[in-house]
Amino acid sequence: MYGRKASQLLKEFVSGEPGQLTGFNNDVFAQVIEECDGNILHLQALLRKMQEEGSNNQTNKNADHFGALVHHLSLVRNKRCLMAYVYNRAEVIQNLGWTIKHADLPAAVKEKLSISENEYFGKHSSNLQSYMLDLNLDLAVDMVPPKDPYIKVRVLEEIGEVLLSDQIANLAMHSILFLKRIDAESFISQGKMEELTS
Amino acid sequence: MAKYYDIDDILADEELVPAVFLEAVNGVGLLQSNETNRIEPRSKVELPFWLASELHLRQAASVNVPPCYNKKTREEIGADGAHVDLRSRCSYFYQLGCKIVQLIGDKTIGSLLLVAFQIRYKEVLIKAHTSASILGPKFLSLLTKEETKLYDAAKSSTAAFKSWRMGGPRFQKASVLGRKRKPIGE
Repeated sequence: MYGRKASQLLKEFVSGEPGQLTGFNNDVFAQVIEECDGNILHLQALLRKMQEEGSNNQTNKNADHFGALVHHLSLVRNKRCLMAYVYNRAEVIQNLGWTIKHADLPAAVKEKLSISENEYFGKHSSNLQSYMLDLNLDLAVDMVPPKDPYIKVRVLEEIGEVLLSDQIANLAMHSILFLKRIDAESFISQGKMEELTS
Repeated sequence: MAKYYDIDDILADEELVPAVFLEAVNGVGLLQSNETNRIEPRSKVELPFWLASELHLRQAASVNVPPCYNKKTREEIGADGAHVDLRSRCSYFYQLGCKIVQLIGDKTIGSLLLVAFQIRYKEVLIKAHTSASILGPKFLSLLTKEETKLYDAAKSSTAAFKSWRMGGPRFQKASVLGRKRKPIGE
């Protein structure tokens, strides 16, 4: 059945949790495009046959006409599926730009993206960065309205000596610190720290 | 075209509906059985909705009401709508129903959808707000995709309400990183 493969691609995408990415499915993607190529060949063959017979497809709707129609519809359908797959993944990737900086994209996430998606992410986040630089304002902090400028955090990964906005801190693993929210926020979103409730 | 990229809309179109060809069609491999790749008029087939509806509009085929809206299902929904297994019959029961009505104008489907939704909506919300997660799986397997979404939304709103009462929002790890497990031996 035409279009089956393409819908499998989308089913795989929705079966993952929202906001999570599964690996870009190159195999099925290529198979769908192959199916499209087959459709085009059939479509052209049928159109040629109709031309040779000299029948006008506006007036004379014969079996060849409907065969060509089925192939045309399959092409349109497959195109829609592939576009939706790429588009919906691109939306997830755009949201990544707000939480993680490009340089810090972990390998586990990186390998799930296709080459062009990686490029897209890089360009999108660098645009975002340069926009924030122009504004002289980090838009990615304070996603949660603050109650107190300082928070208590526990360091989950060895980070080392870091220059923070008000101090130089040694962020050793398992240490518990009292930091400015703006300093801690990016570390938390990268999973290197966790916030402690008092 | 507003829904062009909507995955649910696309998948709802993938549901199979029974159709009868009115015209002969050449050169398509829709049916595996015949070798000539030709479909004769009056052959009955199950087509995905996206194909069947377009052929229906061009009078090349005629779409019949899918079995999930038949008399038996209607009676079951009338008896105890909340416990009918709609997912196994059609995982996009409501969306497909709306599309079918537009195509063939069977007025009774509309009221069937409404009745089914009213009964089941109440049940879904009650279950989502109260039940422990142990109860979930068995009940969840009866729900269509649309109802599962409602269920999840209700669940997350309850969770959000609880976390708000416990002391406001907190910073969270980026959700893409959430599933990562520490490699063994680190």
